[in-house]
Amino acid sequence: MNATSPALTMGGLPKGSARRILPGLLTLLAMMLILIVCGTIQPRIWSQGGMTLIMSPIVALAIATMAQMVLMSIGDIDLSIGFFVGMVTTIVATFMRETPLMGVLALAACVLAYAMIGALVQLREVPSLIATLGASFIWLGVGLFILPVPGGLAPDWLFQYAMWRPPFSIPVPIVTMVFATAITWLFMQRTRLGARFRSLGSNPTALARTGASLLLTRMLAYATTGFLGVLAGVTLTAEIGGGDVNAVPGYTLTTIAAVILGGGMFTGGRSVAWGALFGAVTLGLMTVLLTLLNLSSNLQPAVQGSIVIAVLAGRLVVERLTR
Amino acid sequence: MKGLSEISPPPWLWSFLAAIIVLLLTFLVSGVGGSQTVTLAFTIAPYLVLVGLGQMLVMSAGPGNIDVSVAKVFSLGGLLSIAIGEMTGSWVLGIAGAMLAGLALSAISVVAILYVRIPPIVATLATSLITSAISLTLAKGFQGFADPAVKSFLNWAPFGVPAFAVLVVIFTVFVSWLLKRTVWGVQTLAFGQARRAAEYAGISAPRTLAVVYLTSGVLAALAGALRAAFSAPNVELGNDYLLDSIAVVVIGGTLISGGRAVPWGVWGGALFFILLDGLLNLIGWSYAGQSMLKGLLVLAVLFLAGGSPILRRRGARSPASWISRAMRFRAQERPSAQTSRHRRRAP
Repeated sequence: MNATSPALTMGGLPKGSARRILPGLLTLLAMMLILIVCGTIQPRIWSQGGMTLIMSPIVALAIATMAQMVLMSIGDIDLSIGFFVGMVTTIVATFMRETPLMGVLALAACVLAYAMIGALVQLREVPSLIATLGASFIWLGVGLFILPVPGGLAPDWLFQYAMWRPPFSIPVPIVTMVFATAITWLFMQRTRLGARFRSLGSNPTALARTGASLLLTRMLAYATTGFLGVLAGVTLTAEIGGGDVNAVPGYTLTTIAAVILGGGMFTGGRSVAWGALFGAVTLGLMTVLLTLLNLSSNLQPAVQGSIVIAVLAGRLVVERLTR
Repeated sequence: MKGLSEISPPPWLWSFLAAIIVLLLTFLVSGVGGSQTVTLAFTIAPYLVLVGLGQMLVMSAGPGNIDVSVAKVFSLGGLLSIAIGEMTGSWVLGIAGAMLAGLALSAISVVAILYVRIPPIVATLATSLITSAISLTLAKGFQGFADPAVKSFLNWAPFGVPAFAVLVVIFTVFVSWLLKRTVWGVQTLAFGQARRAAEYAGISAPRTLAVVYLTSGVLAALAGALRAAFSAPNVELGNDYLLDSIAVVVIGGTLISGGRAVPWGVWGGALFFILLDGLLNLIGWSYAGQSMLKGLLVLAVLFLAGGSPILRRRGARSPASWISRAMRFRAQERPSAQTSRHRRRAP
């Protein structure tokens, strides 16, 4: 951790930074590899339209991964993000279109609910895993209550955004993803609150001794997660055009895997926005790769699982070598 | 004051209490105090109990241990047992094949956890993804029927006592005995309480973890095989069992930080959940309302049974709360493979 210590490795990086950055680089390598393989089979994906097509289903996953990353940086895990994002799409596809004010209030209430879960976890010393598991039942219930069957329609401004063609033929999904990641990175690495989140994960005792309130810090971290979850829900509504609480239950576990791929840890204290983005894109591109390889989409989960194991095994080897 | 505060009720009591309250409410609403409701609950609960017992063993092996592959293994167990049963004409082979598949799949998790040092939640997630791919491939154009003998056994309830539930109760007694009276059980719980201390005491980490994960996989596959015979095989048969199994284990009083397993609590939790579903169906709640109430109940149980006392007495904290506090601390700064290696190297 100490930059002046002689324990330097990998081009002069301090060991702590190396441990934080290397896994993300490894995942970036895997992502590039998949993109190159896809590009060789079907060169048209390198156009603006092609890139938009393959990247747009991944945007919501990438932002949901940011949400998971914030929570994992304080040492907690969110098992409810999949249904939460689904529930947000039902709110956006109904209230946001008809009564925007109600919609905004409902979304604010969602963020507040997340903060309350944070308070429960801190005050009652319950594991976040179980608290968010309980919350996921609630999100599912609320989502089904709003839209018992998939339906609704996204607000027009969302469609307009999805249709927007940025200059210099940059695909719009990449703009959204990079923007969201950059904001998260800035917030986590460059603000006082971000530093507090990370220290809540790595050393809560030290954080308490600096005079910060553990309760407030945890609640704010959960609220941030909720806010990013709402953003993920909004982008997902733009993608699927309507609302469906059961749209992406798989996000819950995929986001965790993406953060781990990006170099995050379950013990907290590590914030890896860019790595998490690469992890999410790598996992999201699986569908594209399998389609291009003419493999059954039934195999997709197996390939995803194997990639996770392979990348983590690769990381273990890299860590052994750099030791 | 001393006497009352030192009596600690068994941890499984609350879940049974909750189940009984829901049962009484059901009687109140339906107006008939028949034993049918109870029989039905005991017919459906054993599947959840089997999955829950496996989950309980995994969770007892220390903080961070969880098996999120149970749902998919459950579904695959159902499909596979019926496919093999149809092919060979023997339901015994079908169920044995399903259990073997459960063993093989959880072996993937074990290898990933022990040798690739992947955190359990991600390792079992990877297994779950692989399993679901196998299920989806297997389910393509799948048509099969369970052996009528198994089906009638699962429905068989002499004097209103489902025979299958009795078998699972006996199995619960066995698990309870294993945990309390055998060296293996004590070692597993000690490992869950303090991993490093247990390892210094000579308890093998690979063996302990391998046994609990393999057991969980086999039990999930077995429960799936039987559940598929009871209703019908389906790729999504097990989906509810992931969240439910974790919830009933925690409601039953098993510590999520590990080290305390409460097999009977799993029964209490499972009966509570199933009776609650029945009650809400009875009074005409939609699935949305049921789901919301379930979530609120889990959070309420957490609020009441959380690690720290609700009314904190200054200076007079019971030793139990110190222990749970220490455990939570361990859970937070759980020495992962990386940090522990790092620490050992640091002078």
